[in-house]
Amino acid sequence: MTGAFQQLPEELKLATSAHVKYIQSLDTRQDEYDYWLTEHLRLNGVYWGLTALHLLGVPEGLPRSETIDFVLSCQHEDGGFGAAPGHDAHMLSTVSAVQILAMVDAFDELETRGKGKAQVGKYIANLQNRQTGTFAGDEWGEEDTRFLYGAFNALSLLGLMDLIDVDKAVDYVAACANFDGGYGVSPGAESHSGQIFTCVASLTIAKRQDLIDKERLGKWLSERQLANGGLNGRPEKKEDVCYSWWVLSSLEMIGKTHWIDRDKLINFILQCQDTEKGGISDRPGDMVDVWHTLFGITGLSLLGYPGLELVDEVYCLPKSTITRIFGP
Amino acid sequence: MESLADTLWDVVICGTGLQQSLLALALSRSDKKVLHIDPNDFYGGAEAAFSLQEVESWVEKVEAGKEGLFEAASVEKLEGDTGLSFPRAYSLALAPQLIHARSTLLSQLVSSRAYRQVEFLAVGSFSIFKPSPDSSQKPTLVRIPSTREDVFSTTAISAKAKRGLMKFLKFVLDYDSTPQTATWQPHADAPLTEFLLKEFKMDQELQTYIITLTLSLDGKINTRDGLAVIRRHLSSMGMYGPGFAALYPKWGGLSEIAQVSCRAGAVGGAVYMLGTGVKTMNNKEDPIVIELTSGDTIKTRKVVRANESATDHSGINRLVAVVGSSLKSLFESTVEGAPTPAVAIVAFPAGSLSTAAGEASKSPVYLSVHSSDTGECPVNQSVLYFTTGSEHASKDLLQQALDSFLAAVAGDTVPQCLYKLQYKQLQSSAQSQASGSIFDFAPPATALAFDDSTLQSVHDAWKMVLGDEAVEEEYLTFADREGAMDDDEVYD
Amino acid sequence: MADQGGSQHGIARTSRTRTPAQKQADLERIQQYRALEAHLRTAVSSSNYSRETFDLTTKLLRLNPEYYTAWNVRRRTLTFGLFSRRSDGCSCSRGCSSSSRSGTTTMSFGASSCSCSTRTPPGRGCRRTGRSGTTADAPVAQEEEKDEEEEEEEAAQKKDLETVKSELAFTFPLLLESPKCYWIWSYRLWILDQSILLLPVADAKKIWQEELGLTSKMLSKDRRNFHAWGYRRHVVGQLESDELGGESLVESEFGYTDRMIRADLSNFSAWHSRSTLIPRLLDERGAGEKEREDFLKTELNLIREALDVGPEDQSLWYYHQFLVDNIVSPVGRPTIVPTLTVDERVVYLTNEITNIKDLLEDYEDVKLIYEALLEYTLGLCQLEERKPEEDERQDLIDWVKKLKELDPMRMGRWVDLKRDYGLTELLPGGRG
Repeated sequence: MTGAFQQLPEELKLATSAHVKYIQSLDTRQDEYDYWLTEHLRLNGVYWGLTALHLLGVPEGLPRSETIDFVLSCQHEDGGFGAAPGHDAHMLSTVSAVQILAMVDAFDELETRGKGKAQVGKYIANLQNRQTGTFAGDEWGEEDTRFLYGAFNALSLLGLMDLIDVDKAVDYVAACANFDGGYGVSPGAESHSGQIFTCVASLTIAKRQDLIDKERLGKWLSERQLANGGLNGRPEKKEDVCYSWWVLSSLEMIGKTHWIDRDKLINFILQCQDTEKGGISDRPGDMVDVWHTLFGITGLSLLGYPGLELVDEVYCLPKSTITRIFGP
Repeated sequence: MESLADTLWDVVICGTGLQQSLLALALSRSDKKVLHIDPNDFYGGAEAAFSLQEVESWVEKVEAGKEGLFEAASVEKLEGDTGLSFPRAYSLALAPQLIHARSTLLSQLVSSRAYRQVEFLAVGSFSIFKPSPDSSQKPTLVRIPSTREDVFSTTAISAKAKRGLMKFLKFVLDYDSTPQTATWQPHADAPLTEFLLKEFKMDQELQTYIITLTLSLDGKINTRDGLAVIRRHLSSMGMYGPGFAALYPKWGGLSEIAQVSCRAGAVGGAVYMLGTGVKTMNNKEDPIVIELTSGDTIKTRKVVRANESATDHSGINRLVAVVGSSLKSLFESTVEGAPTPAVAIVAFPAGSLSTAAGEASKSPVYLSVHSSDTGECPVNQSVLYFTTGSEHASKDLLQQALDSFLAAVAGDTVPQCLYKLQYKQLQSSAQSQASGSIFDFAPPATALAFDDSTLQSVHDAWKMVLGDEAVEEEYLTFADREGAMDDDEVYD
Repeated sequence: MADQGGSQHGIARTSRTRTPAQKQADLERIQQYRALEAHLRTAVSSSNYSRETFDLTTKLLRLNPEYYTAWNVRRRTLTFGLFSRRSDGCSCSRGCSSSSRSGTTTMSFGASSCSCSTRTPPGRGCRRTGRSGTTADAPVAQEEEKDEEEEEEEAAQKKDLETVKSELAFTFPLLLESPKCYWIWSYRLWILDQSILLLPVADAKKIWQEELGLTSKMLSKDRRNFHAWGYRRHVVGQLESDELGGESLVESEFGYTDRMIRADLSNFSAWHSRSTLIPRLLDERGAGEKEREDFLKTELNLIREALDVGPEDQSLWYYHQFLVDNIVSPVGRPTIVPTLTVDERVVYLTNEITNIKDLLEDYEDVKLIYEALLEYTLGLCQLEERKPEEDERQDLIDWVKKLKELDPMRMGRWVDLKRDYGLTELLPGGRG
């Protein structure tokens, strides 16, 4: 495969340095209105950007101590994290916080300067609905398999899975399965690639892949690839770079990545780059953002694009981080 | 204000038909001095919409030979108290045209912000009239399936025919790309029906469905033009919402757009004079000197007018009928989430009607049925617009179509025709053209659907008027004039 | 991790250079926005949940509906005072003293309060009764209350109804503008839940019913919006629940999927919804064996007619697969025809295979047809517990070949399939 890449035209190679610069520039855009409109995503944004930098081989691309300071500044008394100081605690930002700290190997700082791992675990565990097993995003009660996955992801990284009723949560995930092999946001909801990722990854963390109808799911996932190489999230929808992650990681978890045309997907992702100013967009020619930039890069990493660090298909973190935490 | 005579006008636009009015709209943000006159005392020219009173005076003028494009006009009213409302409760369009969702006219109305003053209604189903097989049965109207979902839901055609139709519909959507062009180009100038038979093995009935979608007045449209028109129809489907491909402006169709455009012209500073025409014009001089019928003599750099001298006497025959029924069954929305349509199209294919002499019709008759939602008649009534290419005894044919239609939609009783207006509209082969400082628009087309090529001449006229000052990017692209919503204002 | 908005979708890439005037305009907007934000934070830090704070959230959320903390503050201002919450915590004045604490937890917001149960309305006894009478579960014994208190109660409910309505009206345009914003949907649901807590059943029910109309409206604008579909499922569930004294809506929802499908055959969301409604539909109809078979036949007919006009459409094949699942593997799932014998199932499946083969006459290059043929033929063998017959084997080999040709992107899958079922021409398979 490497040989083939050398023959790619310049615009179809990964513009690594442009992407690094793009990500590093994100926090300097304080004179742009959008910077302020997206503050409710700041912590998630740091996770997206930092993961991308790690995969691009520039793990020190954001200053470590400032990153940790910022993460800890988002923590509330109850252990949960908000998206930025002054924002309420939420599962999604809490998971991002844990992932960032895992990546920069700073769980000890959470103990010494933050509210401690146990408190974070408690915050997350408290969001489990003990009747149904699923999780809410915050005290206001929106439930979604995204939050369940987030809880599994963060708690397993922290080694605190025993705080929750894993079996019940697994039952809940199993109940989200549809006849087409996919999973939805709650029982009865339509299969959706994003939700499939959260459910398959949750079952993988819980070591319950036996519950997955891999043949049928693989079939459904492989049908997401469209003629231009891109992947869509549901039948009869348009392609989007972010599904390079949701679909591909799910295929990887069930061992069926070879069921799609990897070269065509690589090509599609590369076409979505802004090679000049950096960043990756949902489709060729659209506006870039850090979210699509990450999922374009994680997609390429899963596809074995040369020069990229390996990404873990379950945690969406560098493999090296996962190996450091769980052992090889 | 300066007097008419003291002003050196940049342009005098004569006539307020659609093209002249769109030109006025296009010039409304320029700083040109525009004098917009019309010898008629109404807006819209050949595209006007009339109250019943206005119809009567218009008919008189036609009969006196003062309306160049029209002849053989007559009005018939049912005697006695028929339920006909007061004259101003009606707004009958002389040349109602539907506008496909993909038409450039719509995008220009949007970019020029003029659309804010127009209320658009959905054009619903296209149906075909089927004569009764024997005298014991009513004639029927059969909907033409024109989307995959229509084809799926229709019970009128067989499974095999459905697949054939789907293949054709798919083909048309993509007909001008490479593998497809090879299929139709050899047939480009042959009648579309021939192509449908040869390449898609379509039977007569399916052919009729397809030909009807072209709204071709003589039914003889060639393959090249036919495919283009059908593609326009299919690709327009669903663009502004489920279940419809075309729109119709409330209160009289294109006449409404002409008026809105003139209003924009007036807001932009143009001076309007109705009932005023050109008496004499001396274009040897620069500026051009014009003596108006009002007696004023004015000077202008440019003149834009319409060529209304019909060059031959071919034309189309129209019958406008007001009927005392809401004809509800024609205006049901059949698709979830679709708006209630206000216009329905019915085609009477060639051969489906017969004249009093017992001859089968040689060309199709089209009917555009307008509900009272169009504002063209009071509630519980409808307006029927019949059109046919001119042929011998076509007046008779239109009457046949009217009777047959009413029989087809009859419930317990046959809806009553309360009012009838008939006339012939002449066609002309004249083209729009500029010569020196004068621009002549071709007479309006008689087609049933708005043809975007009309817009090209408006654009040409605009360029002639502005000359070097014309900036392409700014053509009909304007910001909202005032009251444009500022976020802070709204939110405070 | 997951998409919470803020990502760019479908917006054309434009030059990022701004003119000095644009920069200045941006700075001014930023200043206004941040001032608003600072104002709100000050209010929150002093626990000022007044009307003024509520108004601040209105302004902020109109500028940025993704600002989840502002939605939370708004909820707090409502529960702190704008809703007619009584001082004793639970505002239910009658018949629920024992369960009143459960009423308050859903409204509390202390740092320690978790509440996964916030979406679950509190115990039944806690709901207030309507003006016209009592709900079935409200203890009638305590009906003799003072008139004055009743009047107060009515006035409070009227005010709450207005608040609920105005909150719904507030979020509606935001939802139209940002139909994929999770926070708006979830806030709206929270408001709807409040209506159950605070209003007489009849009023609450009416509000929830109107909400069904809203989802129809949202879905006619974007037929696949999965927020709207999920929301619709939730709204229907609530309308059907005891809380709202509801009756089953399964028939009307089934009819809704029908209409949505007829508007757009490619709407897999509608087909999916249809598939989930069927087991309940048949149960509630009390369908016997014959009715169930008739139902299956009707559905098979429907999808066959759809496939006639859209064989390249995945949505249709997924639904077909769902029906075939019901024929082939009855065990363990709610099924349409649980009592069919194997022989009867074989007849159904053989018939489907024949019909699909017939599609090839008009659509020989549609790969989904070959996929279906492969899968169903293997399903047939599985049903009859046998290996493919020689002619079937040849068909299977031909179909895989065709798939490789028509769909090389999924080559890996076809290779696996060939390997897993031993579909190689060189090795004679022999009869099973």
